[in-house]
Amino acid sequence: MSVAGLIARHEGRRLLVQPFAWTLAAIVVALMAWQFLLSLQGFLQLAPKLGGIKDAPGVTDLVVIPLLRSFGNLLVLLVPLITMRTLAGERRAQTLPLLLASGVGNARIVLGKYVGALGFALVLILLVASMPLALGFGAPLDVGRIAAAVLGLSFFAAALTAIGILASAWAAQPALAAAAALAIASLLAVVDAGARLQGISNAGINYLALPTHLEPFFRGLVASVDIVYFVLLVAVALALATRRLDALRSRAD
Amino acid sequence: MTAPAHTILALQQVSRSLAGRAVVRGLNLELAGGEVLGLLGVNGAGKTTSLRMIAGVLAPTSGSVRLGGEDLYEQPELARRRIGYLPETPPLHAELSTEEFLAFCARLRGLARSAVAPAVARALERCELGDVRRRPMAQLSKGYRQRVGLAQAILHEPELIVLDEPASGLDPVQALKLRELVRGLGEDHAVVLSTHVLSDVQACCDRVAILHRGELRYSGSLGANDQALRVGVSRRLHSVDWLSLPPVASVEAIDATHWRVRLKPAAAIDEFAAAAVGRGFGLQELRADASSLEHTFLAIAAAAAPAEAA
Repeated sequence: MSVAGLIARHEGRRLLVQPFAWTLAAIVVALMAWQFLLSLQGFLQLAPKLGGIKDAPGVTDLVVIPLLRSFGNLLVLLVPLITMRTLAGERRAQTLPLLLASGVGNARIVLGKYVGALGFALVLILLVASMPLALGFGAPLDVGRIAAAVLGLSFFAAALTAIGILASAWAAQPALAAAAALAIASLLAVVDAGARLQGISNAGINYLALPTHLEPFFRGLVASVDIVYFVLLVAVALALATRRLDALRSRAD
Repeated sequence: MTAPAHTILALQQVSRSLAGRAVVRGLNLELAGGEVLGLLGVNGAGKTTSLRMIAGVLAPTSGSVRLGGEDLYEQPELARRRIGYLPETPPLHAELSTEEFLAFCARLRGLARSAVAPAVARALERCELGDVRRRPMAQLSKGYRQRVGLAQAILHEPELIVLDEPASGLDPVQALKLRELVRGLGEDHAVVLSTHVLSDVQACCDRVAILHRGELRYSGSLGANDQALRVGVSRRLHSVDWLSLPPVASVEAIDATHWRVRLKPAAAIDEFAAAAVGRGFGLQELRADASSLEHTFLAIAAAAAPAEAA
């Protein structure tokens, strides 16, 4: 196993033995299950009326995708809570020297922490996605579109996790790291709001915004331009986080 | 302890500034395999900063830290297998059990999967952690946590072991065992040890380096022949009586029945003891005298102006 993989697995193990991760997962699942049941109830009330309409929206459009979209919004709040302790927590507990002195290199430390945190976020996505997928036993689902939405959410979580890792590398306190990650993610979510209000939807400012690249996945469109955006965001954030660790090594924080 | 072998660690003109203040200035140190170096200094003398640079955690502002002749900060991966580091606060992931944490540290340090279990078992045994191996470290006392920190520093059998205040938080019995452990480590490894406890240095170290205000003020051997002996006798003696013994180089009275005796470089302690007994001095007490190191340390700590390194 590579060192980054070792650190990632260790991160996962540390999350599993603490009540924090379990509590977070329980709250998320309960919240999304409640929302799922409400939208399912709404759909069941609406279903008889939809029967007579040609090309009427199905359970995928009215229950599954709204649930996943709503979970996407929740991820903006959730991921900073997962990532806040990755590096800032190590600094606060004075355990970072264990990794710094191990000679494994800052990039691999950052990558390991990233993969560990992302793994947990992906588990949450799968847990939430499994709820509407259970409808497949009794109703026709647009599996391709749901798969695209889950893929989009995974890329979105990957970008948010990288931002969270960057914030955790910069801040000395986990709470500050969470707040910074939330601020950056929120900024990227609304950066083109002004432009969109003026009807501009295809400018450079729109390209910078996270929702511009997440929304096509919910419509079932998997475009390379959106994937490239998320991959670039992850690469830049992780490179900056590595630079920050380099600086910490020379600044002795 | 075995005779020093090849040079493992070499610090050349190492300086480090933090927040614009020079914390360590022009530090030169060498350490060979099988040597234990005690780093002494008052708080703020630059001990921890020096150890962090030696351990590969903190890059020097200028100068070089060489491990086996290679620059540690040009090749940071050298630290992985070859250095073990116990910082002032043991870096423990307290939510894990001792055994699980040490297994992670072993893998982090590049041990093969098959070598992890024996290495962990050996470190647990050496640091006497067997009875808490499965307990979460959050539940351990400070002394146990310190020992886990020590175990993670030695479990990959590094060439160089860097220990920052390892006796901190240990009770007297544990501190005594730590001395024995460090002495044992010093037989096969190079060890740098920072401490406030002079008797620890006296008991464990071959050499001592005293830092003050970021500068090396004293560096010298603690070999038995260089040490003063504290000797208690039942008879009232004069200096000439002591100087008549062939191994004695100099002598100083502490009180009527206690003397501080320095031996000639080639003389052995048992030779001196045999001579004192043979002359019927009434030898009652014979031990290493810590006060000479203490005098040196206190003189340096009290000095305002830089003194010359020995």
